[in-house]
Amino acid sequence: MGKGGRPAYAALSLLAAGALVLTGCSEGGSKGSSNDKENEENAARQQEGIDFGDAKASTGPAAEISGAKPGGTVTVLQRDSFAHLDPGQIYVSDEMALSQLIHRGLTSYKATSDDGKKHEVVGDLATDSGETTDGGKTWTYKLKDGIKWADGSAITAADVRHTFERLFAPFVSNGPTYIQQWMANTPGAEYRKLLPDGPYKGKHLPDSVLSTPDDKTIVFKFEQAKPDLPYALAMAGYSMVSEKKDTKEKYDKAPMAAGPYKIQEFKSGKSMTLVKNTNWDPKTDAVRHQYVDQFNFEFNKQFEDSTKAILDDSGANATAISFSNQVDAGNLSKVLADAALKPRTVSGYQPYVGQMNINLSQPEMQDKAVREAIAYALPITPFVRAFGGTDAMEVAGGLISPTVSGYDPTFDPFGKKKKPAGDPAKAKELLEKAGKTGLKLTFGYINTPEGQQYSTAMAAGLEKAGFDVQRQEIPAETYYDQVSKVKNNYDIFHTAWGADWPSASTVIPPLYDGRQIQDGASNYSHINDEKVNADIDRVSAITDPVKAAAEWNKINEYIVKDVVSNIPTAYYKQTQIAGSKIGGLVYDDVIGGVDPRRLFVK
Amino acid sequence: MTSPIDIEGGGTSVVVDGEPEPKKKPEEQQLVGRSPGQLMWIRFRRDRAGVISACVVIFFFVIGLAAPLISKLYGKNPYTVYADERPELFDSAGVPLQPNGGISGEFWFGLEPGNGYDVFTKLLYGIRNSLMISLAVTVATVVTGILLGVAAGYLGGKPDFWISRLVDFLLAFPAQLFFIASMPVVVSLFVSPRDETPVYVRVVALIAVQWVLGWMSLARILRGTTLALREREFIEAAKVSGAPPGRIIRKEILPNVVTPILVQSTYMLPNFVTAEAGLSFLGVGIVEPTPDWGQMFSKASTELVMQNDITYMFFPGISMIIFIVAFNLLGDSVRDAFDPKSER
Repeated sequence: MGKGGRPAYAALSLLAAGALVLTGCSEGGSKGSSNDKENEENAARQQEGIDFGDAKASTGPAAEISGAKPGGTVTVLQRDSFAHLDPGQIYVSDEMALSQLIHRGLTSYKATSDDGKKHEVVGDLATDSGETTDGGKTWTYKLKDGIKWADGSAITAADVRHTFERLFAPFVSNGPTYIQQWMANTPGAEYRKLLPDGPYKGKHLPDSVLSTPDDKTIVFKFEQAKPDLPYALAMAGYSMVSEKKDTKEKYDKAPMAAGPYKIQEFKSGKSMTLVKNTNWDPKTDAVRHQYVDQFNFEFNKQFEDSTKAILDDSGANATAISFSNQVDAGNLSKVLADAALKPRTVSGYQPYVGQMNINLSQPEMQDKAVREAIAYALPITPFVRAFGGTDAMEVAGGLISPTVSGYDPTFDPFGKKKKPAGDPAKAKELLEKAGKTGLKLTFGYINTPEGQQYSTAMAAGLEKAGFDVQRQEIPAETYYDQVSKVKNNYDIFHTAWGADWPSASTVIPPLYDGRQIQDGASNYSHINDEKVNADIDRVSAITDPVKAAAEWNKINEYIVKDVVSNIPTAYYKQTQIAGSKIGGLVYDDVIGGVDPRRLFVK
Repeated sequence: MTSPIDIEGGGTSVVVDGEPEPKKKPEEQQLVGRSPGQLMWIRFRRDRAGVISACVVIFFFVIGLAAPLISKLYGKNPYTVYADERPELFDSAGVPLQPNGGISGEFWFGLEPGNGYDVFTKLLYGIRNSLMISLAVTVATVVTGILLGVAAGYLGGKPDFWISRLVDFLLAFPAQLFFIASMPVVVSLFVSPRDETPVYVRVVALIAVQWVLGWMSLARILRGTTLALREREFIEAAKVSGAPPGRIIRKEILPNVVTPILVQSTYMLPNFVTAEAGLSFLGVGIVEPTPDWGQMFSKASTELVMQNDITYMFFPGISMIIFIVAFNLLGDSVRDAFDPKSER
């Protein structure tokens, strides 16, 4: 550039800057909505619990949805491709949502209200949710008539036996392990010794564990009472696998369908097409519908992408939805503030409960006063803010989620619901009384944008109470590996846990049983309390689900209030959005997302 | 003929006293000798764009230096989490409720979405930290460039060969990628696993990494200039008269390479400012809660700010645009003033 050009260049830059200033106006934040009504609903819900349905409730077809009509194609925008389609390998929520459409199990959750908030466990392929005469040690299931695989062959007790026996084969390594452990009556991975190669080398489970006296009858026998079996059987991971069409490892890419849809084409990482399964008989199914002709899945759609596409609402986007993607944090308040979008959005709880673990293996953390000071001082608001506000996170009082029976909305020992930003004055007092002011507190945080944001503000809140907080970043990819080491350097760190079925028996024992402390185990706070351990054994044997739920909640309250090893932070929520031509849009609390079984095209 | 009365009048003497002075002035001016520095200063003062940008740059350095004082008078600091201190100003996602990012008489530049830091003091301290780091890098690179460049150029032979190969070797590094890859490694070298990474470690690492990969261009230029100077008569005369090499470098060569050093360093400093901002933007430089210019950019680019509070972006954005433009214009003016004949 010549010399003469310079002043012009300078003027231009300043002009551009000025233009930026003029356009630089923005609206303020959204005024938050009140959560009182929601909390009341939660309270009402938890008292009902989830019952086991009888034969009548398990008989198909499912009740018609008002306004529903058959036909049409739905586009499903998903972030992650499905890594597993073999039921035995499914343990991830987006694969579980797909599984609702293509797989069937012995039992399933039936929504008993149109808002997806009340449920009961009913028989799916079985005639009812299961019969037990000895308090949960022996469970008998009978198969319905007219149930078929997608190729037209009948589903028999042999398929059921095969399904459970193949779970012991070495290649099945990603699914749930509850029933295998119950059958072998051992914790951890020891269960595989019961049937090391699965059914593939001619060996079978003995009749003392699993017997199939005829083509229609299956009997489970456990050493200890397992009252939760109907819940466990409803997990996608225990859906049926065809004995004749089992291709072992290859089944993971092309499984035999039993549900209302079957896979026409699957390009991993790109797309998937589901079409109607003509051999599915609605009369045998009390929980599923078959309104839509075809589901077209598209993968690699980030939360922003799927939200933008659905908001666009033209062409194929008008019938677009996502089973697993939520509205991204940036667009969330905008979407919720728009009244026109209200019929197209659904919100609800995810099964996860966030908690700050206090590492009881650290010598300084042995002092209960110190732990109480942390519990009082810790601000929860930074965590809520980092994920998009109260529409994405609800401040938690206990360790049991609102989606799990036994949840008590009034339980809040450290006043977090009233003072979500913490109570530094009270904490300071406790810390001074213990003579530990200025105590060094190593805070391991996950190195994501959210983690950085909430950890800095949490540290600021703890410092107000007199702690010397040392933040330590942990890479996101190895975060859970690092914090689940028994010998780690952190005094406090945050984890989240989701129940596998709506019972605290999938929350309390894996997280707080002191006999399970080992590298990689999920007892992150290393709590090893004799009372908790004994109570876990006692409550596990209670057969009445409602009574058990109340007892689990007592353990939860004891851990939070008396042991103070885990500070509940938030219940995870999400908001999902669908195109304007999607009908039957309901957020299902048990699925933890949109219920894909009810969808139709308007 | 002139009347004698007229000559003797009291008023005339004033005229006589005053008249000769303007006549004398041009004669004096021609006689005064000026150093190159004074010539440069006169030429620079005539360049209006240069003077204005120098004022802007000085302004930035002054507010950077005075940041603690200003924020003390203003009554806030960049570390207070206002989203928890003053929750009535924010929605639950940490977006300020008032329009334009919560700009008000109390918070002049508004509040940062997320944790609600005060933007005004955060920007002041951000400028302070970024400029101090960049200044340190510039000083370190200039000193290294002078030492190695002049040494290579004057000594020649083996030292010249090895220093030139080192320069070639370091220039082959992809600088930005190397920064990103080496920053976490450098940081982890100094920190105990129980403690938080102290801010000074990150600062020292930032300075060190940019310094190691930043001195080569200046060293190359100085080597070339020194090579040319070495063959000049006045250097040979100094050698013949028995001056030691150290004296020749200090007294004969260095004064003659001041021009490239000054010009290069005014170009280098804004580059280091943007490089430092880039590293912090990518999350490997200064991290929250320590205020930093580049880190404010990375906050501004998040979906939360983009969707809800676009105003926030303009404070770090405009201040940096103004600073970089002013500093580059200043660099041009300095160069013009030193070397008016050269073409750009």
